[in-house]
Amino acid sequence: MELKDMVLEQLRTVYDPELGINVVDLGLIYDLRIDDGLVSIVMTLTTPGCPLHDSIVGGVKRALANVEGVQDVDVQITWNPPWTPERMSEAALRQLGHI
Amino acid sequence: MFPTQQTYETNIRLPFSFILFGTMAFFTSQAILLYSGSSIVHGAFRIPSVWAAVHLAVLGWGLMVAMGAMYQLVPVAFLTPIWSETLGFVQFFVTALGVLALSTSFAWKMDFVFFAGLFLTLGFVLFFLQMAMTLKKQPTKNILTLFVSTALICLFLTIALGVTLAFHFFSNVKVADHLLTLKTHLLFGLAGWFTLLIIGFSYKMVPMFSLAHGFSMTLARYVYIFYVGGLAVTFGSFLTNSSALFVSGMGLLLLGFALFSYHIVTILRKRVKKKLDRPFLFALLAIAIALCLHGTAFLFAIIGNTDSFGVIIYSYLFGWIILSIVGYLYKIVPFLWWTHRYSQKIGKENVPTLKQMMNEKWTVFSCVLFFTSFVGVITALAISSLPLFYFSQSGIVLFSLLFTGSIISVLLK
Repeated sequence: MELKDMVLEQLRTVYDPELGINVVDLGLIYDLRIDDGLVSIVMTLTTPGCPLHDSIVGGVKRALANVEGVQDVDVQITWNPPWTPERMSEAALRQLGHI
Repeated sequence: MFPTQQTYETNIRLPFSFILFGTMAFFTSQAILLYSGSSIVHGAFRIPSVWAAVHLAVLGWGLMVAMGAMYQLVPVAFLTPIWSETLGFVQFFVTALGVLALSTSFAWKMDFVFFAGLFLTLGFVLFFLQMAMTLKKQPTKNILTLFVSTALICLFLTIALGVTLAFHFFSNVKVADHLLTLKTHLLFGLAGWFTLLIIGFSYKMVPMFSLAHGFSMTLARYVYIFYVGGLAVTFGSFLTNSSALFVSGMGLLLLGFALFSYHIVTILRKRVKKKLDRPFLFALLAIAIALCLHGTAFLFAIIGNTDSFGVIIYSYLFGWIILSIVGYLYKIVPFLWWTHRYSQKIGKENVPTLKQMMNEKWTVFSCVLFFTSFVGVITALAISSLPLFYFSQSGIVLFSLLFTGSIISVLLK
């Protein structure tokens, strides 16, 4: 398995505890780059001022801490473009009863 | 282990100190009301034990819980950390002592109410300082800032008027018309402080708990204009003793609240989370109750029935303010404890969801108990039935115990 796939798989263990859906299926991960073991993630949250801001950002870093080949993790939070429900996977939308 | 970002989280002991004090004050206030049943049912609201119970319920429960919730919500809603946590703890102890001193003075030593009020004012001043310095640091102001700031101004006026009333009792010297001061104290305290605060935070919490997106916030401006306009015109009616102005004020408050209710409906229509959590539904039920009460107050103002305003105020306090706080607390308390207990474990091991932090069946049972008991008390007051009052008020006392149990059960997770 490639390192990027392993990182994505690990990110699926980070759940939004309010919704019970992981950050990948929620569509919170905007960009993921790996350069010499440095994982750079650009992500968002479902709303600015989300009370779970620190927990989720910290969770992303912790989830990748023990992935072989990952030396460091940089997480940038962006509000542009803002998150929309269209970014969610079909499974996530179904879990929320939207489809 | 990579470093984690800790920016907006407040020390959990701070909001929990306020919330736990609030639950104890609520139980005590409801037990005192039960004890005072025979006077209340016969319309004697202005007696020492009722004053003590009402101030314990409004200040000890409503205000303390609102303050605790603000210590948690302001940093996350306004993206700015609390100015000083140490000041927060000092403010808690001063305010808690002040509330206890004020309530016991009402029950046993009326002359002391003024001094207890002054001490309590110190707690409020510390709270204003904390919030002013925190909100000042907010990078971008928005409509929530306006609602919360105006609510704080109303709280300040409520306190000033409360101290004036206490001074009347203490000195027998009237610095202002007593009835005017009392009515304005109630208006600014209940409709100004609590309602504007709940409306403001509802605009944050309703979309968050329902995962609503793509809604317009334009209506919020009109909600603010009409509701604050209603407060000003109603105050004007107290000053001038004009029933026409009073009807206009009640009409504006109804219009503002009706717009707010409609706005919440439009936000909920844009939600992604189709099945809403039940405790949150109780907070939404409180909005429906408040809309009915604003309508009833407007109708009673038109027909000139001001005698029934005592029951409307009671219903407003329990059906709108207390039910809203209960509904939101059932969401806020699990979040607070989850953050404390599991925030550092997310990504490392399996952690429970917020929903799993509380037994939803019990929350539904206790909220239904509260709602039916509340309706029972209102009916008992309307038909002057002492047995029904005792039965229904016992239900509210039982609810306060169950609520405290629910909070403690979260802390054991």
